[in-house]
Amino acid sequence: MLMIRAIIRPEKVNQVLSELCDAGFPAVTKMDVVGRGKQRGVKVGDLYYDEIPKEMLMLVVRAEDKDDVLSIIMRNARTTPKGAYGDGKIFVTQVEEAYTISTGTKGL
Amino acid sequence: MKEIIAIIRMNMINKTKQALLENGFPAFHCRKVMGRGKRKVDFTLIEEILNLEELQGTKLETELAEYHRLLPKRLLSIVVQDQDVPKVVETVIEANRTGSPGDGKIFVLPVQEIYRVRTGEKNESAL
Repeated sequence: MLMIRAIIRPEKVNQVLSELCDAGFPAVTKMDVVGRGKQRGVKVGDLYYDEIPKEMLMLVVRAEDKDDVLSIIMRNARTTPKGAYGDGKIFVTQVEEAYTISTGTKGL
Repeated sequence: MKEIIAIIRMNMINKTKQALLENGFPAFHCRKVMGRGKRKVDFTLIEEILNLEELQGTKLETELAEYHRLLPKRLLSIVVQDQDVPKVVETVIEANRTGSPGDGKIFVLPVQEIYRVRTGEKNESAL
């Protein structure tokens, strides 16, 4: 199992979530975050804004579904077909075990 | 060392905190998140309570819109030694289990290194 954490623009969240739902990945957790990237934030005049609001989507999927989820997120979170700075980042980490609390069973 | 991420119901946080403390795991980190699971949630009950016309144009309205409805949840993150993982998982399940869908999920992730900021200690001694 893999945990996919995607940091994307807040205005793209709705589109990404509905596309994920259509593709059969309804389970997702969303949280508000602020951050900056390699471009050191946004420069307006002499001022750097380095705490830019973003949304973090967190989902745990089977390893074979990873590529599907990544392509859905990347396709829908881009602002232009080629993409622009600030569209976000995706991190993939290993998950060893998962449990469902209501039944106590192991597995996704 | 393992990180245990548990997503639980909002109103269960106090009970879970108490249960973890009693079992010797006082240290954790938690935050408010929005999420959805595999099951579709029946929102007609919420619609009956809320007057949707009053909400038009607000942030809440977009959050209640048809496709991407998310429910508020608590996300707990607990970092423990390998051998404590089953005990923590059991504690969290026991404290949060109501038996109906929506109780939440627990994920166990590996952690490579841990440092204590105050002293610079590493790994086991920093935990």
